[in-house]
Amino acid sequence: MVDIERRKVATGSGPVTTFELGEGPVVGFLHGPAGLDEPTACMRDLAVDHRVVAPCLPGFGPTPGDPTLRTVHDWVVFLSELTDRLGLVGSRWVASSVSAMLALELAAVRPEAFRSLVAVAPTGLWDPDDPGVDLYSLSLTDQAVHLVADEEVRTALAALPEGLDTDGLVELGVSRYVRRRTAASLVWPLPDHGLADRLHRVAAEVVLVWGSEDRIVPPSYGERFAGLLPTATVAPPIAGAAHLVALDAPAAVAAIVRNDSG
Amino acid sequence: MRSLWFHLMPYPDLPDGFADHHRSVWVDIDPGLYDPEVGHRAYHDYLDELEYAASVGFDGICVNEHHANGYGLMPSPNLMAATLARSTDDAAIVVMGDSLALYNPPLRVAEELAMVDGLSGGRLVAGFPVGTPMDTCFAYGMNPLTLRERYHEAHDLVVRAWTAEEPFAFNGTYTKLRYVNPWPRPVQQPHPPIWIPGGGSVETWEWCAEMDYVYSYLSYFGYKAGQATMRGFWQRMADLGREPNPFQAGFIQFVGVADTDAEARRLYREPAEYFFNRCLHLYPPFADPPGYQTEATVRAGVEGMVARAAARSAGRKKAPMGSSTGGGFTFDEMVELGYVVIGSPTSVAEQLVDVATTLNVGNLMLLLQFGNMDRDLTMFNTDLVAREVLPEIRGLFEDEWEHRWWPIPMGAGRRRSVGGAR
Repeated sequence: MVDIERRKVATGSGPVTTFELGEGPVVGFLHGPAGLDEPTACMRDLAVDHRVVAPCLPGFGPTPGDPTLRTVHDWVVFLSELTDRLGLVGSRWVASSVSAMLALELAAVRPEAFRSLVAVAPTGLWDPDDPGVDLYSLSLTDQAVHLVADEEVRTALAALPEGLDTDGLVELGVSRYVRRRTAASLVWPLPDHGLADRLHRVAAEVVLVWGSEDRIVPPSYGERFAGLLPTATVAPPIAGAAHLVALDAPAAVAAIVRNDSG
Repeated sequence: MRSLWFHLMPYPDLPDGFADHHRSVWVDIDPGLYDPEVGHRAYHDYLDELEYAASVGFDGICVNEHHANGYGLMPSPNLMAATLARSTDDAAIVVMGDSLALYNPPLRVAEELAMVDGLSGGRLVAGFPVGTPMDTCFAYGMNPLTLRERYHEAHDLVVRAWTAEEPFAFNGTYTKLRYVNPWPRPVQQPHPPIWIPGGGSVETWEWCAEMDYVYSYLSYFGYKAGQATMRGFWQRMADLGREPNPFQAGFIQFVGVADTDAEARRLYREPAEYFFNRCLHLYPPFADPPGYQTEATVRAGVEGMVARAAARSAGRKKAPMGSSTGGGFTFDEMVELGYVVIGSPTSVAEQLVDVATTLNVGNLMLLLQFGNMDRDLTMFNTDLVAREVLPEIRGLFEDEWEHRWWPIPMGAGRRRSVGGAR
């Protein structure tokens, strides 16, 4: 059992709930669209031999949303400030989906921000011939299936914590809506905000990770990103995993991060 | 009571089995289903019907805005309003309305509506909806997170553009203009009446009260389903110390009239079934993109769900729009639930008086063409309502309340007559 420290980091967007766990080399971890209520299995795995620092981004769970975060530019400025406040500029990072897009955006405008980045199924590019599924044109049930392939993980994500009273249930329902809203706002109506033109500025080493069953950002995007990044490798697709690879295959993603930081 | 004739301009030739073979009437409706020649005839039929309604005594004629929609062929209501401004004389032209966030810059709305107000000699009502999620977020790609902020900013720009006495700079979050100075300017001063088409959100009620705008509840599911919403509106108005002036509220209602109740049921069954079971065949995810609902509305919805779950109440059949596929409603259900008011002139007049007084609504928007109803039946319906129903409802509220939200046109002697050049 690893000790988990939960603290609030002051930023211009308000206090950011941040989880820290484990001992060892520091790895920053940016969650995906599901948000972050507590450290995930992948974070706990990494914490065996790393110090994992995992902030919950505004609107994605215990950190309240910030109405001034309207555009990708706003988010990049916020993320830049957050890395400063966490003292993690120049560290190794892992980021998933929309967060990986934001991390790449920050790495493009502030090349020293990251030493390396494991980018798990980043959004941010658009290929009209291989657009992927429009997540928000699906029912909530189908959205969940496209995000996470493993039924047990999906069930756990949707479960209601035991002992919640009526007020707690209402707050949980609202929180889940707000995190869907926040994630959607970063890729609406299309995920392309011009990142392709900026990726050549990224100095960090990037490892691109995909799940073989990702239909939201198809695995073919790995090579597209790699072709635009100065220093990138594409890890072999993780079999059976969907878009939220770190939830579907926590040990596999942790192993890639370990390999990257070894 | 003001009676308004509202046209949705539905595409009249959606095929049999549409709901079985197509995902949605809106957003990704099959473009191959659209026959431009059918559209050509429909536009002219529909404009004829609106013009006829204006000529037989309806107080206003209404158009609205939808995009990528098989039951609404008006991406630009202002185009239709401009046409009607030339071809009608006295009826109010009610644009219900322009989805403000979709115009770039929204100043365009101030300009175009000023043109319509000028063309019509001051007969315009300016409706400003947020717009449905299908129109705004899916068909027009608006980010749901910022849609409402854009809408309110656009509203502020349009109203200020209409009323400013000097050119001004507008430094909004979404629109930045160094010089705002619309020419032409509206005939009606300080600006045309503003009506807000809305759903049931408390925020919209409060905003209408604060701004002194008309609140129009545009639901296709009739007066029975609308009672809770309108009760909520008037309760909120009372809480805010506002008088219950029925002319500050509008409501929409499908109506079909014939000489007898039995004949009405025979005539209007097919168009009603076409509308409710084809035109409202909506793919549910298009109705609820994350962020379209305000957090307060979501909270109220979750609270309701939690309460229902706690009470283990049995589910009721949901209304189709926005929550289901719109399939499977029988005509008898549509009549019983009040979606469609059907019957003889006497019966319909009684029901409409009941609608107006129960909901306390002074602007009744009647849908007398719906679904695939053809021009002849629409004219028949319009004529019969004008002759035998309107006289029975016209006097409602007029002696007790002042309508402060109705257009004030130029005097007849100052208005130029139209036509005559050909």
